[in-house]
Parts: sequence; C-alpha cells; structure tokens
Amino acid sequence: MSQRFLDPAVLASISGLDLVAKTVVQGFIAGLHRSPDFGFSQEFAEYRAYTPGDDLRHVDWNVFARTERCYLKRYHGETNTQLMILLDASASMAYGSHAVGKLDYARYLAASLCYLANEQRDLAGLVVFDEQVKNYLAPSARHGQLFRLLHAIENAEAGTRTDFTLPFHHLQQFLRRHGLVVVISDFYEDPGRIIPVLEPLKFRGNDIILFHILDPQEIAPAFRQPVLLVDMESRDSLEVSPDYARGEYREKIDAHIEALGAKAKGAGMDYFLMNTGRPLDEGLREYLSVRQGRM
Amino acid sequence: MGFLSPWFLAGLAALSLPLWLHLLRRHRSNPLPFSSLMFFERRTQSSIKHRRLHYLLLYALRTALLALLALAFANPYFESARAPAAGGRKLTLLAVDNSFSMRQGDRLERAKRMALAAAARVAPQNRVQVLAFASQVQMVDAVQAIQPTDAQSSYAELARAVRSVAQSARMPVEVHLFSDMQRTSLPSNFADLRLPEGSTLTVHAVADRRLPNFAVENVNAPRRFVDPRKVRIQATVAGYGTDPATRRVSLLLEGKEQASKTVEVPAGGRATVEFLSLEASHGLSRCEIRTDSGDAFPDDDRYYFSVERSEPRRALVVHDDRDARGALYFRTALEAAADAAFSVDAIPAGAAAGVSPEKYAFVVLSDVGRLNAAFEEALGKYVHSGGSLLVALGPGAAPAKRVPVFDEPIGETRYTAEAPETVSWMNPAHPSMSGAVRWDGIRFYRAVKVNPGKAQVAARLSDETPLLLDKRMGEGRVLVFASTFDNISNDFPLHTAFVPFVQQTAQYLSGMEHDQQHFRVGAYLELRAGGPGAAVEVLEPGGKRALSLEESTRAKNLLLASAGFYDVRRPSGRHELVAVNPDRRESDLDLAPREALDLWRKTGEGQAAAAAEGETERKPVTLWWYVLALGAVVAAAESVIGNRHLSEARDA
Repeated sequence: MSQRFLDPAVLASISGLDLVAKTVVQGFIAGLHRSPDFGFSQEFAEYRAYTPGDDLRHVDWNVFARTERCYLKRYHGETNTQLMILLDASASMAYGSHAVGKLDYARYLAASLCYLANEQRDLAGLVVFDEQVKNYLAPSARHGQLFRLLHAIENAEAGTRTDFTLPFHHLQQFLRRHGLVVVISDFYEDPGRIIPVLEPLKFRGNDIILFHILDPQEIAPAFRQPVLLVDMESRDSLEVSPDYARGEYREKIDAHIEALGAKAKGAGMDYFLMNTGRPLDEGLREYLSVRQGRM
Repeated sequence: MGFLSPWFLAGLAALSLPLWLHLLRRHRSNPLPFSSLMFFERRTQSSIKHRRLHYLLLYALRTALLALLALAFANPYFESARAPAAGGRKLTLLAVDNSFSMRQGDRLERAKRMALAAAARVAPQNRVQVLAFASQVQMVDAVQAIQPTDAQSSYAELARAVRSVAQSARMPVEVHLFSDMQRTSLPSNFADLRLPEGSTLTVHAVADRRLPNFAVENVNAPRRFVDPRKVRIQATVAGYGTDPATRRVSLLLEGKEQASKTVEVPAGGRATVEFLSLEASHGLSRCEIRTDSGDAFPDDDRYYFSVERSEPRRALVVHDDRDARGALYFRTALEAAADAAFSVDAIPAGAAAGVSPEKYAFVVLSDVGRLNAAFEEALGKYVHSGGSLLVALGPGAAPAKRVPVFDEPIGETRYTAEAPETVSWMNPAHPSMSGAVRWDGIRFYRAVKVNPGKAQVAARLSDETPLLLDKRMGEGRVLVFASTFDNISNDFPLHTAFVPFVQQTAQYLSGMEHDQQHFRVGAYLELRAGGPGAAVEVLEPGGKRALSLEESTRAKNLLLASAGFYDVRRPSGRHELVAVNPDRRESDLDLAPREALDLWRKTGEGQAAAAAEGETERKPVTLWWYVLALGAVVAAAESVIGNRHLSEARDA
C-alpha cells in the first residue's frame, strides 16, 4: 500500500524534519485499518497467572477475591519497547542521483520512526556514526525527546568513511535494555564483517532491523558513455565504461544485497532494502511488524 | 576547375579550430562523484576507444563543415565545354532601321522585305529576334510591325543593344542590318560600334547611292511678339549633295501661305531667307517654312515653329514711398527693348496693400523698407505658385533685417565711397547675365550682405559679398540683387550692361527665357521641376494624348518622338505650342564609307572565325550552391551527433 504523502520527492520539498516526520506518520496511519494491537498504552491487554517474583502491585485483587487465584493485569503500556536508531552518516550517504539523496532519505526514515515511537510512548534513542560515533542520544520517552531526536537527525551531516566496528562496540556499552535496534546505512562493507559486528547486539536480546539505503543509480547505474567516477569516501577515481556498469557491476551489487540479506536473516536480523526512489511506508511497515512481534 | 573568389580560401585556416579542439587540446572528463567504487573495476581501454571514435566523427564533420563553407564562399567553378559556334545554336538579330531618312521612297518597305527574306533563311535551330532602331532600339514581335519614325538613326546605339543582347543570350549572335547606311548615323568614336565576341554582321543596304536633297535646315523666329510689323523670321535652306539651284521658300501660318521668296542655294551649300512681318492673330500660331525642293525626299522640306502674339506683359515695380529713382531706371531699361514685351506698373510700397500680384508676369521690390503684411503674404503665395520676384536691397531695405519672401537675414551694409567694390565673379551661364556684356568697371558703393542659404550665387563683389542670388521657392523663384537700381548705391544704370541685365532678368522671371522655340525629335520637354502635382495635358501632333492620367500628374519630362506641334497645357494655365522637327542630319543621305563598314564587321569576326573552326568555348559553371547544400547537410549531421554527445554527457 503506497501512501500519497510518502513520496520522497514530495517530502524533500517540506522544510523542517518534524513536519516531514509528522506528515509521513500521520499519512501512513490514516492508511491503516484500526488494529487492537495498536493504541495508547494504559489500555487493558490481558491477564496472566502470577508467578513467583512478579510485582504484587500488578495483581488484580478483585479477581483474587472472586477466584482466590492471583492474576496479574497487563496493560498495553507495559508493552512499550525501546527503539535505538543507528544512522550512518558516512560520506557515501551523501550520494543522490535525484531530488532526494540517501542521507535525506535516511533522515526522513529515522525521523518518521522516532515520531512513530513517540506516538506509542516508546523510548527512542539515536546514534549518528560514520567511522566514529558522531552523536548519541540515550533512549528516553521524556517530554521533548522527540525534538531532541529530530534536531540530532537534522544536524547529521555526511562525514568520512564507514566503519561499523568502533561505533557498535561503543553502542554495546550504552544499551542496557532490550529493544529494537534499527540500523540505517548503505552498508558499503563486506557482509561478512558487518553481521559479526551486529551479532552481539542480537545476543543481548535486541531485535535488529537493517535498512539498506541505496539510490536507484547505485542499484542499476545507467551510464551512456564512459565516466570518471570519484569515490565519495576515499576520493579514488576510476574510469568506468557503460558496459561494465550495466553488466558486472549490477551482478556484484545484487550479490552484495543478497549476501547481506542472507547473512542478516541467518543471524536473526531483519533486513530491508530501501530504494530511495520508492516511498517510505514500506520501511515503516517493516518497523511496525517487528515491533508488534515484540509485544 | 577554379575559384571565382579564391581569397575566401583563406577561411580554410579556420580548420585549425576543430584540430585544436579535438586533437591538440587534452580532453578532460568531468569527474562524477559516486558513493563507493567498491564494486567497480577499471575498464579504461574500451571507454577511450569509444570516446576517440565518437570525437573523430565529430571532428571530421566539423572540419568538413568549415572546409565546405570556405569553398562555397570561394565560389568554385568548372568550365563546361560549350558547343562549337558553327554547329551550335545562334541568335539571329534582324535590325531594321526605321529612322526619319527611311521615309525616303520605299526604303523602309524594302528593308522589311529584305528582313523577311533573311528570316526565312535562318536555320531552324537558331533563335530570331527583330530589332527596330533609330535613336533608340526596340524589340518588336514581327518585321511587319515596324513603323517609320522621325528620329535619327544611331549605329552606336544599335551596337550597344547587340552587346547587351549577346551578354544575356550567351550564344553567338548573327546581326543582319537593314538600313540606308547613312554616314551621319556613324558615331564619332568608332569604338562605340564594337560588336560582341563571336558575332557576325551582315549589312543589307537599301540605298546604293547618295541622293541629292534640299531641306529647311533651321528657322530663327521670335517666340513672342507684340507688333507684327517688327517680326523678323530667318530660314536656312540647305542642299546636301545638290547642284546650285533656285528654290522657292514659303512662310505658312496655320497652313496658309503668308509670304514666299526665292533663294539661290549654292552647290551643297546653304542660303538664308528672311521674312519681316507676320500677320498672326493674338495667341499661339502654328507656323511653317516650306521649300519646293523637287527632290526625292520631300519630308524634310518643311520646318515647324510656333509664335505667340500677345499684348505687352505687365510687370509690377514696388518702390520706396520716398524714392522712386530705382523704379524709374528699371522701367526705362525694360521699355528700351526693340520689341517692348512688358509694360511696367510702378507703385509705392504704401499703396501695395490691395494689389494682387497674380496678374503680373513678375514683381520687383526696389529697395522697399517695410512691406504691408498682407501684401508680403500675397507675394509669398504668388511665388510658391509659380510667380517670380526680384528684390533689390539698399539703405531702405536694410533696417528690415530680413529679405521679404526670400526669408534670409540681412547682414551688414557697407558703404565705401572712396574704395567702391567691383564685380569679381559672375556666372555667365545664369540667364540674367548670359549676354556678352561684361560688368567690368561698375562701381558698387553700397551693398547689403545677405546670407545665401540655399540660394545659388550668380555674382559676387570683390569683397565676396553675394551680389545676385537666385533661389527657387515652390514653383516660382526669387532673385535678390544686393544693391539698388537708383544710380546712388552704384553706377550700374549708367553702364551698358544694365539694359541687357534688366531685359534678360525680366525674360527669365517671366518664364520667356525657358520657352525654347523648337525641339528636335528625340529631345525631352521638361514638364515640371518638382514632385507630383497638378496634371499637365499634352496632345501629340496627331491629336492623341501623350500622357496617361497618372503620367500627367507625375511625369517630369516628355520624349518628343514625332515631328509636328505638341499642344501643352501646364497647371498654371499657360498654353504652349511646342514645335518639333526631325534632326537635319537625317536629311544628308550620303552613304557610310565601305571601309568603315568593313571595319565594323571585323570587330566581331575574329572570335566568330575561331568558333567556326570548331574550337570549343568554355563556359564556367559555378558550384557554390551545391557546396553550400552539402555544407548544410554536414551541419545538420554535426548538430545531431554533437547534441547526442552533449545529452550523453549531461546524463552521465
């Protein structure tokens, strides 16, 4: 289901990331059917039998009086989760062959996720990284957190080259609560090196979603004549013929995407390829499905 | 193969531009940023080959375009072989003389018969063009359509027309000339008879010997007269190749004989006869001098002229209220003429207010100070509608600071009794001073300096002061004399030059000077000096209108093509009878020398003989159009490929 508000080119014309996020999420929500699994937290969800160690404050004493059995009353509010967004701001993310660059697209996606999390009273945090951690906002559901997040996302500028190792090791020290970890990156790295870096987070009980942001020109370059390409991270240059771009390159990038998806799946992570030429709602839908699975 | 404008080949130097652009200048690709080269590998060889091929094609097209442009401007040509003249097509020109002398006997009819016979002998592949020539050459559709004229024949004009036709036709020309071969038709400069290259001339003479001929060569009669008893008409009778003879000469008025005399004409000479009265009625009269020549060419035994008997024409002299001396001298000089054609009304300036200038032949302002405004305005209209004005300036007129009607400022006024000025320069061609009497010794003590403006200066004093100014204003004219006629500012009235000056000026101002008595056939009559205006009606000798309605309002001149009387009515109401006579050179029926005709034939024979020997003539065929068309095709191809190249660069 595509939403008319989620066209990236339209979003690019909206000034202010908060407005972009609000437009995306509300447009997306308006297109969904009403769901019992979705709503404000303090609503009754279910009863669960008391097990030793449960907090006695949650015991429904009325039920105990009628049945002499201890049941715990559970609310949606207790299903809140923690969303941690890892936004890649390496130099390669600055690429864009049309109105919306990869970093812009990643910003919209991150902002929309933050907005959605805020609507659900989820804790949300942010790590902006390239080869270093450039910005870190600890997960929180406090008032004003959304605007801090949006401000940090808006200020994320393309930096140097990508290196997952250092930032993820750094992140493991801060993540104390299990939750959702969303990695938004173009993943220009060997999948065999990316997944092992992320696996410790998975082992610690986090659900991990990899949003692989790629420009249409990166997926299927259409050069009509030989061009001199300059690597935006290393500044290396290379003269590339159209034949190669049409043939071998596409095979290699397809193999890379496939390998990354397969390894992510093998490690229990969700992988989602996001073409910046397509609407954002697919990314949001992926996030929601994973989040509901955690409730 | 050659170039008609080879200096444009210098444009080939522009070929260095694409050479530098494509081969010498190092090509630099615009680097294209890309997110990562992780999956790319170097493939330079194929790309360079591709680019080189691409650029070489563009280079070739651009070089070809510049070269073709330079070639097109250089106008390349090749010489195509033209068919030999003898075996190829020719243009046969049948030139029939229809001048006045061809009216003798049946000369014209014989010429036409001979032309028809010549036309019948022309080879079928040749083109035939019939020309009728006298003083001008006309192309006619058929020999039978040729009519006799009164014009003089000119072989030079015929040769010029043949050269022009040959240049247009681009083929050998064969001229057949049918004429009485008059000696007087040959030009003074033999080079004018030059025939075009490759042409032949065949002369078909319709006269084989010189015929003796008498003709009235000229008539000298007054254009206008007042007293019939004072008229003096002189006629000259000439004999061409004649023996001494006595001839009777008659004066005819409106077709009726008025007087006749006999005259002895010497062998091949001239005799003059004089008639001393002409009892013509008032107005215009058609007159004719006729002689009973008894020769074979009676058409030239008469000579037309016209006269006008009129009352003396009135002239108005306006003088200063206190000084009439200038008017007195002017009037006396004007009335001193043998045939006083003017009567002078002299009035003081103060009495001029109600006077209408239109009824006067001309008006003289003799040192008048201040003019009545209404009279000055009337004078201005009078001049612009064709009237004439003479303004004499002296101490009375100088304070006005402006010459009336003439409308130019008056400068300083000089008075030098001790060292008077004299006339240092005068235009002898000006009608007022055309007589032989010089103005030496006339002393000018006072002269008024006037800015000439657009006026013509006819005389100057020794201090460069313009003495006589002539300016055309509208249809009329104004003369300004920068001194007076009163024998005070100068002693001009005491000199013999004064009376001729006054009389000639009066004739000039009244328009009599322009009235030429008679014209020759082929001359032009001036109808108007300015632009289009009121219609001038002209009736030909045959009584037909000579001009269409539009021509009558626009034509400035009229070709007098026929002998006889042209009846002209001008917009001012003036009626004229213009007598036109054939050129009397046509009366001399002497034949052109055979040697001259042989030489004339040879002017085009050399090339004709060469052509007859079968030498092929080369004809240049220019190729610039084809080269330019090819250049356009190359330019289009260059645009397509260049645009494709640019769009690919943009896409990349």
